[in-house]
Amino acid sequence: MSRHGVREVGRQLRESGGVGVVAVLLVTVTSLMGGALWTVRGWVRTELLTSDHATTVVAIVRGAAQVDALRSQLSAAFPRVSAVALPPRKVQEQLAAWFPELSTVLLNLEERSFPALLQVQVEPGTEEPVLSWLSHRPEVTMVESSRAWQARLRSAMSRLLLGGFLLTSAMLLGCCVVVLLVVRLLVLAHADEIAIMRLIGAHDGDIRRPYLISGLLLGLLGGAVGAACLLAVSYAVRSALPTLSVDATTPAMLPPAGALAGLVGSALGLASLPKEP
Amino acid sequence: MIIVENITKYYNGRAALRGITAHVERGEFVYLTGPSGAGKSTFLRLLYRAELPDGGRIIVNERDLSHMRHRDVAEFRRRLGVVFQDFKLLRRRTVGENVTFVLSLLALPEREQQRRAYLVLKQMGLQHRMHALPDELSGGEQQRVAIARALVLQPDLILADEPTGNLDPEHSHELLELFKTINYQGTTVMVATHDRVLIEAHVARTIALEHGRVASDGWGIAP
Repeated sequence: MSRHGVREVGRQLRESGGVGVVAVLLVTVTSLMGGALWTVRGWVRTELLTSDHATTVVAIVRGAAQVDALRSQLSAAFPRVSAVALPPRKVQEQLAAWFPELSTVLLNLEERSFPALLQVQVEPGTEEPVLSWLSHRPEVTMVESSRAWQARLRSAMSRLLLGGFLLTSAMLLGCCVVVLLVVRLLVLAHADEIAIMRLIGAHDGDIRRPYLISGLLLGLLGGAVGAACLLAVSYAVRSALPTLSVDATTPAMLPPAGALAGLVGSALGLASLPKEP
Repeated sequence: MIIVENITKYYNGRAALRGITAHVERGEFVYLTGPSGAGKSTFLRLLYRAELPDGGRIIVNERDLSHMRHRDVAEFRRRLGVVFQDFKLLRRRTVGENVTFVLSLLALPEREQQRRAYLVLKQMGLQHRMHALPDELSGGEQQRVAIARALVLQPDLILADEPTGNLDPEHSHELLELFKTINYQGTTVMVATHDRVLIEAHVARTIALEHGRVASDGWGIAP
């Protein structure tokens, strides 16, 4: 681009003023939201919803005496699974250990208030047969697999992420509209100048180019700030969620995505140029 | 260079030009004169294709303007130097940028743009105002910037609409001398003016318009 073009882009960015700042902020928020959702999606998939992890099946057994027998029978039927029999006393102690703030209450309850449990670690391939075997045992009152919870979590996360991405898409559309308005306002403010430029031999392309670049830069700036915010947020939550990390591609994609939104918005804003006087 | 055949132009049903025919050869110097409302500006606007005639044919630089494609208009205008009556300067750009803008359209190197702009502004006595905005200049200075912008392209044809309208007599005569010099170098020049004194001082072919018609076409002002 010529020096004229560079200066014109600078002038337009200055003239875009408050509306330009709003456009940059909107692109920033949208790109931050999109980047955060994408990161959370990846994290949920790898950390929470991976199906190749070993899972736990818990069976509630009618009596304390029957839990050891059940464990022996299970080990005989499935030699490769590891099972732990938890009599009511152990369950009580385990719960008190998990919830230390309730430990006094839990440890003061009667032992018979707690069920006997059989905790079975299963690989994905043996989960279904173990579940089926346990559920057909008369001494077992209930069988739960952590995989079922995983499925519920997956469903909830899918809905949440879908909603998030729909909202981000709507905001992205909003970014395009705001950039469109910025560029349109600039074009209308420069209507006389555009007419003069045509009269002295400028092509529509010569006239449109600086506006397109201005829109692109507004989006690029918003995307870059959004990427910086995403990295800052991921750094801030690192201690709370050590496994949540932003991969390099997500922040790298935000500035081009913002620039594209800006370019589309400015192109729409330049759909028609003022007529010659 | 310019062939105008039986052109007519109407605004809201009122005829601004009625059957004008004129031929201007390459390298000619022509005045277009007549009272206000005679059609001088309309005639020039048709020549740089700001408007199309309602009837007749216009050929400029071997290009039939009525059948020119929209995308060719810009290229056509780059070969013209037009001095507008109301200057039509780019208000947000400096004097230097106003002049180099047309050169940037030709993708000339930056240094060459600056060199040419400086030379033409020096010719206009405005080299010290290169960084001023048009609104910081007097009417006469703005007019000279508009003239500099038209000349910097070294065009085949210069169309000037009342170029001396905001100039004092001394600058007006200097400008006419400049146009004459450019004309001697082979550029066709058409100047629309109602300044009879100027035409008498710098005699040339004069096309006089009256009520949208050619009243006279000859050397100097018809008595």
